[in-house]
Amino acid sequence: MKILISVFSASLLILSTSACSTDPEPLIYGTDVCHFCKMTLMDKKFGAELVTKKGKVYKFDDMNCFLKFYNSGFENTEEYHHKLVVDFASEGKLIDATHAFYIKSSAIRSPMDGQVAAFELKANSDRYKNEWKGIYLAWGEVITQYK
Amino acid sequence: MIRVVIFVAVFLFSVCTFARTWVVAKNSSVKSIKSAIELAAKGDTIRIMKGIYKEGNMVIQKSIVVIGIDYPVLDGENKYEIFTIAANDVSIIGLRMINTGVGSINDISAISAIEAKRLRVLNNQFENTFFGIHLANCLGSVVEDNVLHSNAEVEHQIGNGIHAWKCDSIIVRNNKVSGHRDGIYFEFVTNSLVEKNLSHHNMRYGLHFMFSHNDEYRSNIFQNNGAGVAVMYTKKVKMISNRFEDNWGASSYGLLLKDIGDADIQLNHFVKNTVAVYMEGSSRCHFTQNVFSGNGWAVKMQANCDENVYSKNSFLSNTFDMATNGSLVLNIVDANYWDKYEGYDLDKDRVGDVPYHPVSLYSMVVEKMPSAVMLWRSFLVYMLDRTEKVVPSVTPENLKDMHPAMRNYDCDFGKKI
Repeated sequence: MKILISVFSASLLILSTSACSTDPEPLIYGTDVCHFCKMTLMDKKFGAELVTKKGKVYKFDDMNCFLKFYNSGFENTEEYHHKLVVDFASEGKLIDATHAFYIKSSAIRSPMDGQVAAFELKANSDRYKNEWKGIYLAWGEVITQYK
Repeated sequence: MIRVVIFVAVFLFSVCTFARTWVVAKNSSVKSIKSAIELAAKGDTIRIMKGIYKEGNMVIQKSIVVIGIDYPVLDGENKYEIFTIAANDVSIIGLRMINTGVGSINDISAISAIEAKRLRVLNNQFENTFFGIHLANCLGSVVEDNVLHSNAEVEHQIGNGIHAWKCDSIIVRNNKVSGHRDGIYFEFVTNSLVEKNLSHHNMRYGLHFMFSHNDEYRSNIFQNNGAGVAVMYTKKVKMISNRFEDNWGASSYGLLLKDIGDADIQLNHFVKNTVAVYMEGSSRCHFTQNVFSGNGWAVKMQANCDENVYSKNSFLSNTFDMATNGSLVLNIVDANYWDKYEGYDLDKDRVGDVPYHPVSLYSMVVEKMPSAVMLWRSFLVYMLDRTEKVVPSVTPENLKDMHPAMRNYDCDFGKKI
């Protein structure tokens, strides 16, 4: 009987924790679909994710879709627990969008023509900035790009 | 008189540019394609005899014709892009290109053309290429009768079959593409024609285009692709007599329309797709004389679509004929044939006397709660749908076909065209 109760409570615990998780989910390329444009995620250099305080996850394939959705007022921007973007230099790695380094250039060929790439490290963004002849953007500027 | 003859002769001489032909073969004086390209002058022809050629990347910067005899094999050894073309009036005919390199930053292709006018890529075979044919900033080019096949296991390790970016007036005709990421992919391509192609078993989309205005898609077959066909952010597109078949999956669509305006979609067959047509943010699209048969959903139209017209289409044995997510209806559905129509035609004018409501209550429920589809075809759901028909409360009252046809349009197609 004791075992039964412990199994039951353990499973309950697992269920309850998994249901309320606000941790980010990894982007599964080839399977996940962009919430905004409905395209299947393919390009590991690009992508973004929003996680609400209630644990709802929205995935995107491009900065363009990500920020159009972010600014659409579908959810209050205060409600987002995580705002994440993919680091251009390391495939599929999600980093904090508010602290990322952004480069804007028409040489960037992203799935939805967002023309912006995100970087975790300043050194990497410098390297590509020269190659693409791009300009630096910070989070505060990048959110005004697609209006 | 003699003067005239001499003048004409001299004139002809000066016009003739003495185009030469270079033969590349193991036993000929020119053994490599690279040296033949170097030797050739503008307007020359290079004939490549049967054999295997491993020459890395070949750059063509002059107007020449490259013809393969009996499909010589050009091997990229999983490292190289095979042809890079940066010249006008180049033709690549009858070659077999295999094993290009794979790149995550660079789009390595079997044939990559940059700012080329009047390029012709005819009758080639592509096996295991990352990108097959990649056109950037090309004008007036033709891609015809090619066969492209790749078999990567993971989606993002593979490029597109025929990829065009910022092109104008190109023709893609009679090609067969399979096993790529997107079979045919257009981005910023205008005034172009895609005709009689077969695109099947591609990882993502059979056809995919974005920001590509004034294009026409005719008589193509899109079969069994990972997510069907997707068209986005495009104005004035014509899609005529295509087949969209067997696109099954949770996020798979026969035809996904996102932000499309002024499209003409006629005489297409949508057969056995999870969702035959999914529309979001699209306006003024005319669907006429299409056949929707055996689909999960024939049409899923989000409430942000307006002024679209569905008329004279046939809806046959679909689980749901139409679904929408709102009550506001700004679209016209008129004079279609619905096999679920249970009305009558007392005046015998072949038009049903009572309107047909294509959106069922349960399709609204499933739209909100996809897992509820489990209860489909249960007695309870049947009761709900019946009640809704008598007293509409949830389904959009205005979304109805006032003149449902009593006879299937499909039977009459032969006579009308």
